[in-house]
Amino acid sequence: MELTFEALKLVGYGLATLGPGLGIGIACYGCCMGTARQPELQGRLFTNFIIGAALAEALALIGFVLAFIL
Amino acid sequence: MNPLEELANGVSHLQHSFDSAFVFGPVTQYVFWMVICLAITLIVVLVAGRKLTLVPKSKFVHMVEYGYDFVRKDMGENAIGHGYKKHVPFLATLFFFILISNFVGLIPGCKTPTGTISVTWALALISFVYFNWQGIKAHGGWGYIKSIAPSGLPKPMVPVIWFFEFISLVLRALTLAVRLYGNMFAGHMVLAIFAAATSIFISAAASNIVFGAVSIGWFALLFIMYALETLVAFLQAYVFTILSAVYISLATSEH
Repeated sequence: MELTFEALKLVGYGLATLGPGLGIGIACYGCCMGTARQPELQGRLFTNFIIGAALAEALALIGFVLAFIL
Repeated sequence: MNPLEELANGVSHLQHSFDSAFVFGPVTQYVFWMVICLAITLIVVLVAGRKLTLVPKSKFVHMVEYGYDFVRKDMGENAIGHGYKKHVPFLATLFFFILISNFVGLIPGCKTPTGTISVTWALALISFVYFNWQGIKAHGGWGYIKSIAPSGLPKPMVPVIWFFEFISLVLRALTLAVRLYGNMFAGHMVLAIFAAATSIFISAAASNIVFGAVSIGWFALLFIMYALETLVAFLQAYVFTILSAVYISLATSEH
C-alpha cells in the first residue's frame, strides 16, 4: 500500500489524539481522587475538570481540523 | 461478493448520505431539521411556561423545570458564581436547543442539526460574541483587552502571556464548534456503519450461515454504541453550555 499525503494526514490526526487522551485521563483521575477525598467540593472540582479537559481537547480538535483543511 | 468488501464499498456511500442535500428550494436537510428542533424547543418551553404553578403538578412541567434548575444550579451558580442570574436565560436556551437537536438525531430517519459544521459554527459564534460582549460590558473596551492577560505578572512577561492568552481566546470559538460537530458526526457515522454491517451480514446469511451469526455480534455492538451515543448526546449539550458559562465567568470576573 502506498503511503500518500492523504494517508499521512490521518496518521497525523491519530498522533494528535495521543497527548489529549492522556491529558484528559490524568485530569479525570485527579477529579475522581479529589472528589473521593472531599465530596463536598465536587461541583467546583468538576467545573475545573471540564475547563482542563476543554483546553487539552483543543489540541486534538486542531489536529482534526488540520486533517480536513490541509 | 464477500460481505466485508461490500461493507467497505457501502461506507463511501454512507459518507455521501451525510453531505447536506437540498430538500426543497434553498433548504437543506440540516436546516429543515434545525427548524423542527427550534419548533420543538419553543413548544416544550412555552407549553411548560403556561402551566407554571408554585408546586409543579404535571410530570411534563416537572421535567422542564428540572432541566432549567439543572442549568441554573450546575452551570450558572457553580461555574459563573456572582451575578449569574442574568446569564441563565442565554445558557438555558443553548442547553435546551442543543439537547433537543442531539436527541432528535438519535431517532432513526431523522438528521441531527448539530451533525453539520455550519450549525455548530453558528452556535459557537453566538456564544463567542456573547461572552466577549459581556466582558466588554463589565470592563470597558480597553479594560477587557488588558484583562485577557492575568494580572500580577512581571512587566516584561505581559505581552508574551497576552499573546498566548489571546490565541487561546480565539481558539475557543473553533473548539466549541468542532467539538460538538465532531462528536455528533463521528457518533452517527459509527452507528451508521454498524447498522449497515448488520444488514449486509444478514443478507449474506443465505449463502453461509456463519455470516448470520456474525451479524448478531454487529447488532450487539450497534446496541451498545446506541446507548453510548445517548450519553454523548446529553454530555455534549452539557459540555457546550458549561464551557460557555465558564468563558462568560472568565470574561466578566475581576482578575
